[in-house]
Amino acid sequence: MLPNDRQPRHGGVVVFGLVVWMLAATASAQGDAQRGSYIAKAAGCVGCHTEAKEGAPAYAGGRALKTPFGTFYGPNITPDPQAGIGRWTEADFVRAMRHGERRDGSNYFPAFPYPSFTGMTDQDLRDLWAYLRSLPANSRANQPHDLGFPYGWRILVTPWKWMFFTPGPLAADPQLAPAVARGRYLVQALAHCGECHTPRNFLGGLRKDRFLAGGKGPDRKSVPNLTPTRLKKWSDGELKDFLTTGMYSDGDIPAEAMAEVIRNTTSQLTPQDLDAVIAYVRSLPPLPEEPKEK
Amino acid sequence: MNRMFLSMALGLGLGAAYSLPAYSQAKPETLVKQRQAAMTLQGKYFGPMNAMAQGKIPYDAGVVTRNAGYLDALSRMPWDGFAPSTKGEKSAALPAVFTDAGKFKEAQDRFQAEVTKLASVAKGGDEASVKAQISTVNKQCAACHEDFREKR
Repeated sequence: MLPNDRQPRHGGVVVFGLVVWMLAATASAQGDAQRGSYIAKAAGCVGCHTEAKEGAPAYAGGRALKTPFGTFYGPNITPDPQAGIGRWTEADFVRAMRHGERRDGSNYFPAFPYPSFTGMTDQDLRDLWAYLRSLPANSRANQPHDLGFPYGWRILVTPWKWMFFTPGPLAADPQLAPAVARGRYLVQALAHCGECHTPRNFLGGLRKDRFLAGGKGPDRKSVPNLTPTRLKKWSDGELKDFLTTGMYSDGDIPAEAMAEVIRNTTSQLTPQDLDAVIAYVRSLPPLPEEPKEK
Repeated sequence: MNRMFLSMALGLGLGAAYSLPAYSQAKPETLVKQRQAAMTLQGKYFGPMNAMAQGKIPYDAGVVTRNAGYLDALSRMPWDGFAPSTKGEKSAALPAVFTDAGKFKEAQDRFQAEVTKLASVAKGGDEASVKAQISTVNKQCAACHEDFREKR
């Protein structure tokens, strides 16, 4: 994905152009940590990779994610060579994000939302990697996942992947308006909204026909429908306020799970990206609410 | 005349005797409505403080002092409305309110303590510490909604 379009069109500036092109190519090959810090916010990495306690070191791991399959603990992703990912190469990182594979080739559990992150562009992955390399190393040791039998067997994730995982960058859809397309990328790949807002089947696979329609989240708590069925009652202004202030228009406060996403991700988006997210969810097919199971 | 007083007194006495137990046993749907009203008003008075803490609207110490005082009173009101009799009522309360009543009570107490602290900080604290306390209260709202309220 070299930026070939930056090559000069006129012969007179070939040398200058070539230098610019080479610089741009070098920069993109190394990844831009500054840009990567924005990608990290949009992807909300800090949430699962930081312990839920006051003053916990960011990205040093420890967050517990309770699911019907057991409790997962987000690992340390600081550059510490033992506790973190200091010995990784960029290729290791891309493989983890794109294919859900560990350095030893075994599977990651899809509690790590690689089924969403796989849709990221090469450039975003590279920039995110550059940012992670720039973090201070922290030696906080990882905690093993606490999973019920037989969910702790990584080999079982292989058939799961056949059924529920399609690796590869999100394919462009030329039908979409640019803002909607950007919103789709943010919602589906980076911010991985569907990981909580799309209901799962009994094997933990996302029910694609119910994309963002709410129901039960991965922790079995209820999550709201984000399709126009529910959101049509919200104005753009109300949605924007909610996603930047973490407050409903009547002063009510959402539950901590979303409050945290708002602090870490949606309130950090540029106004254009926030508009794009809203434009995209408005474009979704309206899906009915999940029937209540009581 | 005496007889009239006597019957009035008797009537009042009987009325009080009958209405007291009737009063203490409010219908479950009434308790739900009342606790929701107390919650709604907390939103009304917390909302502007929260917006000030985030710099969305200008800080107004007078409004903060007043609202923090209201909130201190309001924040004590909803809890007796979560009586066991309301368990079957339609509301956003999750079953954990009743199945994990101890944890629910702890969450109430933590919230209550932070609101009371806000009311006292608001009375003369500097803007920065008032704002910090507002966001602490915000986190207590969110934490309790996480475990005990259906997502809205």
